[in-house]
Amino acid sequence: MPIIEIENLSHTYMKGTPMEHKALKGTSMVVNEGECIAIIGHTGSGKSTLIQHFNGLIRPDSGKAIIDGVDLSKKRIDIKALRRKVGLVFQNPEDQIFEKLIGDDIAYGPFKLGLPLKEVRERVKWAMDMVGLDFEEMKDRQTFALSGGQKRKVALAGILALKPKILVLDEPTAGLDPRSRNELLDKIKSLNKLENLTVIFVSHNMEEVAYLADRIYVMANGTDVLTGTPEDIFTDKENLQRYEIGTPETVQALYRLKDLGYHVNTSAFTISEATGEIIKVLANGEGGNRG
Amino acid sequence: MASEFELSRNITIGQYVPTDSFIHRLDPRIKLLVFTILVLAIALNTSYLGNALGLLLAIYLFWASKIPISYGLSGIKPAIPFIIILAVLQLIFQGNVFSGGTVFFEYGFILITSESIRLVIVSAVRFVEIILLSSVLTLSTSTTDLTHAIQSLLSPLKKIKFPVHEISLIITIAIRFVPTFAIEMEKMMKAQASRGADFGSGEWWRIIQRTKDMLPIIIPLFNIALSRAEDLILAMESRCYTPGNDRSSYSVYQSIGRDYIVLVIGLLISALLLFYHFPF
Repeated sequence: MPIIEIENLSHTYMKGTPMEHKALKGTSMVVNEGECIAIIGHTGSGKSTLIQHFNGLIRPDSGKAIIDGVDLSKKRIDIKALRRKVGLVFQNPEDQIFEKLIGDDIAYGPFKLGLPLKEVRERVKWAMDMVGLDFEEMKDRQTFALSGGQKRKVALAGILALKPKILVLDEPTAGLDPRSRNELLDKIKSLNKLENLTVIFVSHNMEEVAYLADRIYVMANGTDVLTGTPEDIFTDKENLQRYEIGTPETVQALYRLKDLGYHVNTSAFTISEATGEIIKVLANGEGGNRG
Repeated sequence: MASEFELSRNITIGQYVPTDSFIHRLDPRIKLLVFTILVLAIALNTSYLGNALGLLLAIYLFWASKIPISYGLSGIKPAIPFIIILAVLQLIFQGNVFSGGTVFFEYGFILITSESIRLVIVSAVRFVEIILLSSVLTLSTSTTDLTHAIQSLLSPLKKIKFPVHEISLIITIAIRFVPTFAIEMEKMMKAQASRGADFGSGEWWRIIQRTKDMLPIIIPLFNIALSRAEDLILAMESRCYTPGNDRSSYSVYQSIGRDYIVLVIGLLISALLLFYHFPF
């Protein structure tokens, strides 16, 4: 069942000024409930503009955007209810932390919803569990003394505490060290698979995309140019080149083996599958031109 | 539909619009000098006619610099409440100070005369003129040019040990970061709105509540400003910036004929605004 339907959506920034800039030029997109979607594309391809439509921060200039049954082109909609349903995590979300204590900061959203204290406390606990922060130990810690990775977890928990149906993340792992990165990716994956959240994320990291995404949208020049499963996209050599899309290192390695004449399945892009392929080659000792 | 968060749209200070017009190509030192004198002259002129002239001049300059006037006018929008409040206060309280002319209305301490009405109208128009003029200057001059211009115009003050270079650097940084912080603030408003924050929807008389609503933006913005300042310091230090050193410049300005013509015309208009006794 589609939870997000975008059709021919356009948006222009700073309309009517010398700095006018067309960021979206007729993008379409369909996201089904429970899916995990990656949006990839170069800087300036309109990714960030597109995702800001999902919770109504930007309203459509033209085109259609229906988010969980709410038509954004209508003037009178309950925008606060929409923002509750769609949790949007911006790039470098740690900037938005403003309370002194972790627990207070995560509780900001639930308090704004007017929930009773007990419910707020439960939501904060749940959100902190979800991102892997220990509630009892961490809730009264000072926010400014945290590491970058922990700050990002706090920021993510601040959004999760709203209990959104759809989670939208703009480059969630940018600037994190490898360990925090992997931890965060696992959390996002379990939110999607276990809590059944619809997840949409923007990323430049193809390993990440291969690990998380059920489906990929490739954007270029303000429109969606390509969509498909990671397998479709990463094996479509022609389009990969045309839109200058990188591939995960596993795919690169398999392509190089194939170029050398080994019979490998280049669509095996997850690390375990790729390992299997390589072991197969080693075991068979088969070969093309190298023998 | 314009976004409720598009702040940078209304901030014209510190933006540079490269249309490469005649105004853009003027020697920045002369441009700054002429604009400063013009603004002073307009600020001191109290006649209707003189200010109409000033307004026309400002509009002409927008046209000449090929920057849409609508863009300049959008910079006035945030100032409108202040202009209105100022006008009302002047209308009510200044009648006794500027009591010449015909008395239109008198009640208790409130005295409205033709002179006080003149004051109200002229100061409102003057406000608009000054915003427009300074917008033309900043929209048509890059920050680098502006710094050099400020520095070279202030350089005679070095003789009395005035920190010219430091002051011009401070001014430049201040102007330069206005649009940057507008963008940061926009981002922060969006981020907090995504967490359920709500700005400006409370009743306007609940000032304390509305101020509290702004804290989730103001606190992170201070944080960002401080870390930006630290970055800037590092960047400057790593390029061996030393305050107070004698510095040479990569670009050397040379005034040519048209710059002097503009200077003379600018001085003439300023003299007209300052010394000519306008009939009304």
